[in-house]
Amino acid sequence: MVQYNFKKITVVPSRDDFIKITLSCTQRQTPTVVHKGWSISRIRQFYLRKVKYTQQNFHEKLSTIIEDFPRVDNIHPFYADLLRVLYNKDHYKLALGQINTARNIIGKIAKDCVKLVKYGVSLYQCKALKVAALGRMCTVIKRVGPSLAYLEQIRQHMARLPSIDPNTRTLLICGYPNVGKSSFVNKITRADVDVQPYAFTTKSLFVGHTDYRHLRYQVVDTPGILDRPFEDRNIIEMCSITALAHLRAAVLFFLDISSSCGYIRQICMKLVVEMKAEAMKTLVGLGEDPINDDGVLFTLSNLSEEGVMAVKNAACERLLNQRVELKLKSKKMNDCLNLFHVAMPIPRDQRQRPPCIPQAVLEAKAKKEVMTEKRKLKSDLENQNGGAGVYSASLTKHYILANDEWKEDIMPEILNGYNVCDFYTSDISQRLEEVEREGLVQEQDIGDDVDMEGHELTPEKQDDLISIRKMISSRIQQHRIKKSTAESRPTVPRKFDKDKKFTSGRMGRQLSALGLDPTMAINRACSRSRGRKRERSLVCGDSDGHDVMDLDVGQQPNKKLRARSISHSRSRSQPPSEVVVIPGDGFKDSAQKVKALKLARKSAKKRNKDARRGEADRVIPCLKPKHLFSGKRSIGKTSRR
Amino acid sequence: MRLEKCWFCSSTVYPGHGIQFVRNDAKIFRFCRSKCHKNFKMKRNPRKVKWTKAYRRLHGKDMTQDSTFEFERKRNRPERYDRNLAENTLKAIKKIDKVRVERAASHHTQRMKGKRAKEHKEAAKELEQSIHMVKAPSSLQKEASLTLPKIKVKVSQQQSEENRMEE
Repeated sequence: MVQYNFKKITVVPSRDDFIKITLSCTQRQTPTVVHKGWSISRIRQFYLRKVKYTQQNFHEKLSTIIEDFPRVDNIHPFYADLLRVLYNKDHYKLALGQINTARNIIGKIAKDCVKLVKYGVSLYQCKALKVAALGRMCTVIKRVGPSLAYLEQIRQHMARLPSIDPNTRTLLICGYPNVGKSSFVNKITRADVDVQPYAFTTKSLFVGHTDYRHLRYQVVDTPGILDRPFEDRNIIEMCSITALAHLRAAVLFFLDISSSCGYIRQICMKLVVEMKAEAMKTLVGLGEDPINDDGVLFTLSNLSEEGVMAVKNAACERLLNQRVELKLKSKKMNDCLNLFHVAMPIPRDQRQRPPCIPQAVLEAKAKKEVMTEKRKLKSDLENQNGGAGVYSASLTKHYILANDEWKEDIMPEILNGYNVCDFYTSDISQRLEEVEREGLVQEQDIGDDVDMEGHELTPEKQDDLISIRKMISSRIQQHRIKKSTAESRPTVPRKFDKDKKFTSGRMGRQLSALGLDPTMAINRACSRSRGRKRERSLVCGDSDGHDVMDLDVGQQPNKKLRARSISHSRSRSQPPSEVVVIPGDGFKDSAQKVKALKLARKSAKKRNKDARRGEADRVIPCLKPKHLFSGKRSIGKTSRR
Repeated sequence: MRLEKCWFCSSTVYPGHGIQFVRNDAKIFRFCRSKCHKNFKMKRNPRKVKWTKAYRRLHGKDMTQDSTFEFERKRNRPERYDRNLAENTLKAIKKIDKVRVERAASHHTQRMKGKRAKEHKEAAKELEQSIHMVKAPSSLQKEASLTLPKIKVKVSQQQSEENRMEE
């Protein structure tokens, strides 16, 4: 099983978390209610389910852990070695082993518990068994706790390992500490390795990628290696040695000639020799033993970037060639080679046929190069003429018009409430002419009004008509006034006749306006208002001894009789001229009586306004008027009505 | 900048006036003032609202078909600017306007043609029917001349003889 990406390992929970998660899962996912009144098989099933569920959970989780973590035996030796170097292999194996055992033990616990619960007799028994089983499982996990923690740490570290593919094209950068390996890697790839003046800045492997001839190359940066016996090397150095040993790569060994890395040249050279012994193949080395090695020496400078590309290209080239050679040698290649065929056209004759570029294109190309320098931009123009706020570019400069003088013309968009653009057509003048011609023809005579002259009304008739209309409108107005409510007009009963509308003189005038003779009507009205015919009355026999019947209609010598014949209905409201206090009225004097009469009239007024017949009239015409008992208020509450 | 027509009353909407309403189906309604806008919101049909141009045209109060209306049309294709043509257009607009106003006036007079006769007839009828409001029927019987009662002035005999002699 090849796994180069350790980022997909599931998180290993800590011991407490593990227990908590599993137990709470059990509690949520299994039924929680049980009664002692249930049948025993149901109770047993309930508890069995819980135990089995917990065991299954533990089993699953532990299995994922075991499977996710890479087996050292099953992976590429490079990674195996790396793991061995970084983490103690034994320790690692032990931890995983412990987890495995824990898993098995939990399985066994569950089996035992199941066997016992099947023979449980009471709820309490079953429950106790379940509690015991779960408890034992949790204890197992507790014991395994430190391994879990260790595995979690390893997982975190492994996730951060660089994903190096051991099989593809790789360039390996190694050398003494502080020689400039990381800077080189930074230069040729997009990796951002820490570069600092002190040694051992790089503490682990870093990977970058670079391209050469459309192929991807891995560039692996290693920590520096010191000249020490193998056994004394620390973990960091062991990383790089592992890489050297296992990756089939082009090794670029870096030497600092100026010795500014802090180590002398000779010591570095010694290292190279050692490395060669270790490494699978060294391509670049020192030039002192040219016969022995097939390495090549290049000079490069990271600061000035001289030779960086050359080195990279050379290394890539060599590596590529070597790989191709190897592949060609293998048997599989022959099959592959048969699939490739590059078709080339067979030359008909010896004539040369170079690519044909038209002359115009060449000229244009040449011209373009010249043009780009000389062209004046609009922004230059703007800056010349005063800058952004001062100069406003002429938008109409490049207009294509029939006459160039028209470019600065301003045409109105609106005229007299019309949009000029709506009328703008090329043939407007001729259409206008047509319309004007039409206009001359359309002369109409409006002569039939002359006929009507004969039928007009005479001025007297016109006056009549006016008065008719006036009369009608006044009547309508009066009707409208009468129709209105008592709030807007005074409710004086007709008999008091405030406006003096009902006088006989007025009636006379109205009748004569109509053309009738009013005298008879007036007389009739007067005689009625005079009251009844005078009656005989024995009480008022006069001292004269005259007989009442002898007197004429017109003469009334007796004062008393005259008083009696005063009309009972008055055409005009008159203030009481003489209020005589009759003994028995109950008044002190006439002033009091006047006041009493006044009060009586005052109350009568209110009653009249309320349309009540008298003091005793308590009729409420409408007990529940709708406007008081329904409807919502626009503001306020309607809690009371 | 464009002068638009109010959707409700068909008057021109000048820039800076009115409200434009875009419906969900992307139809644009322009209104010249809030009166039209509010009428629209009340869902009133402009063809039934007396003071709008739509009503007036529909009911024949205003001129509907005329050749002067064909000059004004929304053209979507821009024309190239030509100074002479622009000048002619501006002059033509004024003339067209004048012609249209004249024609509208004639239309109006044509419409009002029989008005006087109608009015006279109605007046005569009204007079006949409602004369009783101003004159009592009995007085009318005496003198059926439909006029106000004559005021008789007494002229002395001598004077009348003198007048006769002079003549």
